[in-house]
Amino acid sequence: MPQHVLVNHQDHAAVKVLDCHSPELSESSNFTMVFPTEFRDVQSQYPIFFQKNSDTGQLYPVALLGFEPGENMYLDNSGWNASYIPLMERKQPFFIGFTNSGSDTSENDNGHPNGSSMVVTMDPDSPRVNHANGKELFHADGSPTEFFNEKISVLEQVHYGYEHSEKFVAAMIENDLIEQFVLDIQLNDGSVKQLLGFYTVKEEAVQNLSAEVLGKLSESGFLMPLFMVLASHSALSGLINKKVALEAKP
Amino acid sequence: MIREVVIVGGGTAGWLTAAVLASRYKSATEQDGGSPLASQSAFKQSNSGYSKAGHSKAAQGINITLIESQDIPPVGVGEGTWPTMRSTLQEIGISETELFQSCDASLKQGTLFREWLKNDGHHYYHPFTPPAGFHEINLAEWFHEFGESVPFAQAVSPQAAVCDQQLSAKQISTPEFGFNLNYGYHLDAGKFVEVLKKHCVEKLGVRLLRDHVTSVNCAEAKGSQKGNITSLHTKTSGAIHGDLFIDCTGLGGYLIRQHYEIGSVDLSSVLFNDRALAVQIDYEQQQNISSATLSTAQQSGWVWDIGLSSRRGVGYVYSSQFCDDEGALNTLRGYIEATASKGVADSIEPKKIGFSPQYLTRFWHQNCVAVGLSAGFVEPLEASALILIEMSAKAIADAILLEGDALNIAANKFNDDMTYHWEKIVNFLKLHYVLSQRDEPYWAANRNADSIPHSLQESLAIWEGRVPWHNDTPRSDELFSSASFQYVLYGMNFKTKPNITFRRDAEKLKTKAKGYFSENQKASAKWLSVLPENRTLSDKVKQYGFPKL
Repeated sequence: MPQHVLVNHQDHAAVKVLDCHSPELSESSNFTMVFPTEFRDVQSQYPIFFQKNSDTGQLYPVALLGFEPGENMYLDNSGWNASYIPLMERKQPFFIGFTNSGSDTSENDNGHPNGSSMVVTMDPDSPRVNHANGKELFHADGSPTEFFNEKISVLEQVHYGYEHSEKFVAAMIENDLIEQFVLDIQLNDGSVKQLLGFYTVKEEAVQNLSAEVLGKLSESGFLMPLFMVLASHSALSGLINKKVALEAKP
Repeated sequence: MIREVVIVGGGTAGWLTAAVLASRYKSATEQDGGSPLASQSAFKQSNSGYSKAGHSKAAQGINITLIESQDIPPVGVGEGTWPTMRSTLQEIGISETELFQSCDASLKQGTLFREWLKNDGHHYYHPFTPPAGFHEINLAEWFHEFGESVPFAQAVSPQAAVCDQQLSAKQISTPEFGFNLNYGYHLDAGKFVEVLKKHCVEKLGVRLLRDHVTSVNCAEAKGSQKGNITSLHTKTSGAIHGDLFIDCTGLGGYLIRQHYEIGSVDLSSVLFNDRALAVQIDYEQQQNISSATLSTAQQSGWVWDIGLSSRRGVGYVYSSQFCDDEGALNTLRGYIEATASKGVADSIEPKKIGFSPQYLTRFWHQNCVAVGLSAGFVEPLEASALILIEMSAKAIADAILLEGDALNIAANKFNDDMTYHWEKIVNFLKLHYVLSQRDEPYWAANRNADSIPHSLQESLAIWEGRVPWHNDTPRSDELFSSASFQYVLYGMNFKTKPNITFRRDAEKLKTKAKGYFSENQKASAKWLSVLPENRTLSDKVKQYGFPKL
């Protein structure tokens, strides 16, 4: 894990951050974590599935970006080509940290040590961070710029998103609504690409949910995100078409 | 008709049997789909000897009562399970995560036998995963041609290499009960009993009666034979009636041995071990957990070493004929000094266990069936204690709805099956000794032809001419498959005459075998790179639990 530093106006008055997306600036992955709170925006653009955190074994929702490791079909040198960009991508290069008597103790967005307060940390080695190009974090008087305030707001949404997401996934598992799946993509030359390691919502199981369970899910605020996941699957065909077209090029 | 089952004895055998039965069948006091807690209160209302007349006619089910005596502490043997325990737990409804969080469990992938062949550092694995391609090709036939640069287990299975590195059998992202490599558990027997008990009483509607059985009331004897047990008299709860009585009272066999006077098959001329010294050893700081049970041969027996997440369980099992208690204690101290420290070795106060290796001539007699130590006991060399309980409990569950002649037939079949399994266990354990080349008197005596069962001698004669294969272990419920025999035989350098060149399809088989050997090397490398240390996995399961899918 990169060494994160606490962002403050003394140390970072001259720092500039590139607020754009490109293959050089973003981590190459074919999925990115998304939160139920943003599913409504995510679903129109990206198929939503689930992935397992290899460190904890816990499932979490992701937006599918491509079909091969490292493939992000939304991203090219012109930027991130979608009308909505997931929170986790927008928060870069910032993280939520927690302080305990002034010293930075955590680099996890989702850790909440007792008696600590939330602060913003940054990966100083991120390619977005420099002194020449990009947006400033602080005004001359030390107050945060509008740009930095926006980032803080994104981080707050992420922070809340983690907690809500864990509960959402737990409810999905409890009601046996998630299963592993394999997606076969038939390319024009007849070969088949397989997407492995993702989990999806069992549509039939959702249709068979009892009124009682539906009521409970609704009360907990999980019903809408659940339907958003199902709705998101219509974004899959667009992504597949793009992949087929991409592979067809010489 | 069996509607009331009474289990006597609150050890692993009693509670595991109760759990298997009660998870399969609802109790008569339980409404369809009703909560087991409701049935709990029904039990309380009719505290002792609850009458069948009390149940409504519509109620279909089997009531289970377990009588547990406070006066008799459970023996708590059996800290190593077979992979079958995974499906048993799933059937019972106990989560794997709970086993880690409440029973200090760790994953066990087999047994590492050290110095069994010779006193020279030789060792070999008997892993739970069968040789590669086991369904279609007998790789052991090709071991001499391709594999001899590495030991047999390493050549045919990735598990030996994984165990050498003390890695786990799965990742934290692998679903509960799912596996990358086959595994069972090491667990704290005492804590396991508590988890089973709680689950039985709170979730499965088993009635727990804390009392002491004082006498047996049985039906009129026919001729010289005692009839069915009608009830058990208890110290404070009066008579406990039942249709089937399961004897889980331990080595004494209160019902099957003392009441019915069923005899046993004495194994002391085959398996010499009859004493054990057992201790618990703390880990050094953050010491890794062994992925296999360690079995280290000694002068007059062998030492077991079982790594739980919280501690090690270590013991010396030996023959009193060849070693006195003082000598045994010194041997155990020597092992602990070598694997922990002199300080720890000097301070141990081992628990002494004496036993005579034997099993019953009949396990199900009249309306009484023995499960656990009451049915028989041999040294824990292949951890057969728990698997026999699982098998017995499932067989009883299969038979329990039968009536009249069918029930008698099932009882006879149970006796035949258990006798079969015991005979196989005895032969398989003895095999480890027969193949040894150690020269101490104990080991030399173990190779005396008089001490080797005839059926084992016959098998060995055959295996000198061809390698063991599926037909040597024909039953689907076989405890030891031909894979197990292969691991022990070729782990201990047994020589089978190569005869593969006679085969018409030798070239085709050769290509296939070559493919499996090289695939196995690739699989080994892959698992070594992705599996976490056994300790790391245990820690993570405690923190996050296994994912449900």
